[in-house]
Amino acid sequence: MATKSIKTEYLKGLWKENPVFRQLLGLCPTLAVTGTVITGIAMGLATTFVLIFSSLVVASIKKLIPAQVRIATYIVIIASFVTIADQFLKAFFYPISEALGPYVPLIVVNCIILGRQEAFSSRNSVGRSLIDALGMSTGFILALLALSTFREILGAGTFLGYQVMGSWFKPWLIMILPAGAFITLGILLGTALVIERKTKRS
Amino acid sequence: MSLSMRMIVVLSAIGLISGGFLTGVAKLTREKIALNIQAEIEEAINEVVDNAEINTIIFEEEDLTIYKESDDTGQLAGYAVQATGVGFQDKITLIFGLDKTVTRITGMSIINQKETPGLGAKITDWDTFLQFWEDRDATGPLTLRKPAAGKPEELLPSEINTITAATISSRKVLEIVNLSLERMRNLINEGTILREPKDGN
Repeated sequence: MATKSIKTEYLKGLWKENPVFRQLLGLCPTLAVTGTVITGIAMGLATTFVLIFSSLVVASIKKLIPAQVRIATYIVIIASFVTIADQFLKAFFYPISEALGPYVPLIVVNCIILGRQEAFSSRNSVGRSLIDALGMSTGFILALLALSTFREILGAGTFLGYQVMGSWFKPWLIMILPAGAFITLGILLGTALVIERKTKRS
Repeated sequence: MSLSMRMIVVLSAIGLISGGFLTGVAKLTREKIALNIQAEIEEAINEVVDNAEINTIIFEEEDLTIYKESDDTGQLAGYAVQATGVGFQDKITLIFGLDKTVTRITGMSIINQKETPGLGAKITDWDTFLQFWEDRDATGPLTLRKPAAGKPEELLPSEINTITAATISSRKVLEIVNLSLERMRNLINEGTILREPKDGN
């Protein structure tokens, strides 16, 4: 396998292989918790923690895992880190944990994490898996940040809870409802495609 | 080692390590999580019962907990009722306060809800909903005022305000309160919980 430079390995998660905009993975939390920026960031960080540690463990013990039970093993490893993230949020960031509700335990089934274990960590070194996990997590956080910023500003007139729109602004209720999540994701995916095509042409 | 044996050993080992690790994490966080939940309840009680310093549970079952509230001198300050019921989307857990004689609702606080953002979720909003719960009559069932009133003074003592475009969520909260109040009155009549004598204060 041709090895990429560490920089390329990291940067691919941000744009070229962005988990949300390019691979369309992890869309359930992307749609569900981006009504406000703070819940979007919290979900991004919780997923980052799980992705990094799962990748480190899987890359470290990949030779010990028989191929027939690899998915079951990955899920046990991922579920353990998700439970730790969930307990940590409940203990130290209780209001955020309440706001994220069932979506923290649901990180277990976030395809970004299982996908990276199957496609990357199980075939690469610990160091490269860490860089890949960091890049994918950053890409995921950026996607959540883009969606939640758009939705919170238009849906509530605020950013991180602070009023940013004047008193003339009437919040667009639809943006904080599920329909707003789909509309925003559609617009952002379309924009990403346009940018991709333009950069390819030039 | 045969392949099947290797599969069993690897999965069991990972399961055991993971289980052991999670037991440790649960032990470390359990106390803090319990404190967070307790703090949330105490904060809600302070919002709905004036001078509530000491909380004593006088009745507890799955969806209903009744607290007797005392001030810092030990004098009865009122009661707080924590109740859970079905909302529009999911369960709603709330706490409302009652005066010493269990005849008046003194306030309402929503602890947990997953109603529609921007619509039903306004049950947590002071201006739209919660302020209309102060000073309500608790001697009989409460009713919903629809169309919504603009100010609390426009309501009858036995009425609560509807949230415009979220009638079901408003009604669900009302149902939870009416059911809890009825249950509480029955408990008082049965002598399961004691009502303090009217002292005129």
